[in-house]
Amino acid sequence: MKRLASTLILTALLIAACGGEESGGPLVVYSGRSEELVQPVIDQFIQTTGIEIQVRYAGSTDLAATLLQEGDATDADVFFAQDPASLGSVKDMLSPLPSEILTRVDSQFRDRGGRWIGVSGRIRTFVYNTGTDIALPETIDDVTDPRWAGQVGVAPTNGSFLAFVSAMILERGEDATLEWLKALAANDPQDYPKNSPIVAAADTGEIEGGLVNHYYLLRLRAEGEGTDSENWFIPAGDVGTLVMPAGAGIVAGTDQRDAAEQFIEHLLFAETQAYFATNTFEYPLIDDIAHPEGLPALHDINTPEIDLSELADVLDDATRLVSEAGLV
Amino acid sequence: MTAGPPTVRPPEEVRRSRSAGWWTATALVLLPALIPPLSLAFQVVTGGSGIGLPFTRLWELFAGTVALTAAVTVTALAIGTLTAWLTTRTDIPGRRFWMIIAALPLVIPSYMAALTIIGATGPGGVLSSWFGIEIPTPYGFVGAWLALSVFLAPMAHLIVTPALRLIDPALEEAAVGLGAGSRRVFFTITLPQLRPALVSGGLMIGLYTISDFGAVSLLRFDTFTRAIFTLYSGQIDRRPAATLSLLLMVFALAIIFIERRTRTRAAYQSGRPRRDRAPIRLRGWARAGSLALLGGYGLTALGLPLSVLFFWLARGIESGQSLGGVGDEVLRSLGVSVAAAALAAVASLPIAMVTTWRRARLSEATESAVWAIYSLPHITVGVAVVALALKWAQPLYQTVFLLVLVYVAMFMAQSISTTQDSLRRASPDLEDASRGLGRGPMATLSRVTIPLARPGLLAGAALVFLSVMKELPATLLLRPNGFETLAIRVWSTTGEGFFTRASVASLALLAVSIVPLLALTYRDLSD
Repeated sequence: MKRLASTLILTALLIAACGGEESGGPLVVYSGRSEELVQPVIDQFIQTTGIEIQVRYAGSTDLAATLLQEGDATDADVFFAQDPASLGSVKDMLSPLPSEILTRVDSQFRDRGGRWIGVSGRIRTFVYNTGTDIALPETIDDVTDPRWAGQVGVAPTNGSFLAFVSAMILERGEDATLEWLKALAANDPQDYPKNSPIVAAADTGEIEGGLVNHYYLLRLRAEGEGTDSENWFIPAGDVGTLVMPAGAGIVAGTDQRDAAEQFIEHLLFAETQAYFATNTFEYPLIDDIAHPEGLPALHDINTPEIDLSELADVLDDATRLVSEAGLV
Repeated sequence: MTAGPPTVRPPEEVRRSRSAGWWTATALVLLPALIPPLSLAFQVVTGGSGIGLPFTRLWELFAGTVALTAAVTVTALAIGTLTAWLTTRTDIPGRRFWMIIAALPLVIPSYMAALTIIGATGPGGVLSSWFGIEIPTPYGFVGAWLALSVFLAPMAHLIVTPALRLIDPALEEAAVGLGAGSRRVFFTITLPQLRPALVSGGLMIGLYTISDFGAVSLLRFDTFTRAIFTLYSGQIDRRPAATLSLLLMVFALAIIFIERRTRTRAAYQSGRPRRDRAPIRLRGWARAGSLALLGGYGLTALGLPLSVLFFWLARGIESGQSLGGVGDEVLRSLGVSVAAAALAAVASLPIAMVTTWRRARLSEATESAVWAIYSLPHITVGVAVVALALKWAQPLYQTVFLLVLVYVAMFMAQSISTTQDSLRRASPDLEDASRGLGRGPMATLSRVTIPLARPGLLAGAALVFLSVMKELPATLLLRPNGFETLAIRVWSTTGEGFFTRASVASLALLAVSIVPLLALTYRDLSD
């Protein structure tokens, strides 16, 4: 029994050890973007450069917290995150990018200090069931209108929703944001842990609408559903159509600066940008790349002007307000 | 064997002389188990932070957690005891088949259980699109209660089944002989003898419920654990969540304390050798009703999740979605699960022996600590260990070794509990007899103690294996870079709405998990 047990343990540890864990060597990327979305991009990079890469996939906020906890001890060379808030919260650990990389992307989609750069655009949107007879919201305030009572799906603990609330704090101030959140909470919103179940629920008619990011509906369509719902870009140009670029930065303590820069350049190559548009349904952020099929062009959407560099500074306030308003 | 006649020592003396050795062994295995609570306390003390939640909210969370824990524990115990009784004590047709069916849902992680309920009900759900039955999705308490009860019932089934087999039939036969009906026999004779198994099963189910995040988050019911996850995911500052976790641990300790108070010290050792008994005959309505119950349970707990997964798979293949490979993930998940299960079995033997056969305050404290860790949300354990490893054990940070150690600490309670159940049914006198007759300590261990503990050790290893297969939050935090497991694949695919790939990863997870469960059930059958 004991011998059997120890043999089992040894074999198991051997098998397990094959999976990962070599220090030094490869370029380590902490990716808050899912493996499903970005692994092909990473494989392409390995193929063209021959540089070895090791990725740690997890949630963007979780990785930001992990980076802060690890501090100088971190193995990470690049932080590739889903949203500007996560990137901004570790900006003190990132080093400025060279200007020839930075200038490829419009200044509104990168850090003012040049420590991170947006690589693909994700837009907040209002997904709705096409069979609904409720008038669609003209402004983000219409979402809290009694006509939408009990019919709006939200993901109050999700990073994108918190980024949206952070943007609202920057746009309207704390008091007005709290007021809006309270009005939302009073309107009996349906809460979900994340975006994709909201879109699925709007599609089946479980709810009439929901506050989500634009690409989840296209994803659902790729799976063969999503025919009974549509994205609605709130026309007022308020934070209801916030653009939250996914982006990347280089960890200051890296010993592989060249490889790290090459990786970020790779994310901005025309082919990679086209990949984002066709496969992850995100907006390319460099010029002259076609936007995702079936969506309006980025410049045709009325988006708010928010300094994304400041988003992280109010992220904890956003979390506090959401809980103060009773949404979580 | 060339030595003279063995010296016979009085049992009490033997027992005392060995205590020191056992205590050392216990202390050694306990050290890793104490890492999470210690580092948690360390974090809270050095971080010094409040929770940032108003008192009324805390009270709400407390009430929700208590209600859900109580409801799930009672329901899962009832279902599990019923399935165990029907499949071991009656002549229900297809007994062996049902025995496996009743155990299998344990392989389904709670987040998958919740996804199943959501995917099956509601306007676009499988039930309405395939069968035309539309049930509104039961969000909130009802949904969480159903999901957890149905999918945790097999825990009770697996713990009660061996206990039922080991009950001495003489008492029941005497009751029948005196004219008691089968219902009366069950409630007055069988049930009281099942009490130790029910209590340990109840503790395992109840504390699991407290630590669960998957079901309560997807089905929207507020508990401590859901609030803790919210605090961790919403903000970069991890201290408030640590404080709330410590509060949760105090709550779990209170439950453990109550359990301790209600636990009887009665020993259920039978002096007589085991013998078979005639199964209870089910006739007419009782037979039809029992079959309907088992069938209904099987359809809900296995049929539904599988139809949702195959629905996703079929839909995705039709739309030309790629399936995604999971070969490496299967190997990694298997590796860490087997390692953790084997280590947990080895580690729980001394603790189970000390706590079952000897009485000491310290041994009870030890056991309470193990249960308290089991009840913690896994994300809390993960974060605490990350903090501790970064500070004092950097070479171990993000290694498979530490990951496995943490799994053992988190789930060891399960294997200790099942091992205790086995040992409780054997008399420590057997050990003493062996020593008294001149066997050395190692020989006694391998020829007497381990064989006595074997059923419990194996059952415990299987439970730990299943828990590790399903584990997500601590794995995300502690694994080496690039070390993706099946559970991580299920999480990352469902999160981004890649349902086709999610179904492939989920089906692989289920397929791998079924192996030890089948082995365990076959052992039950061959007994």
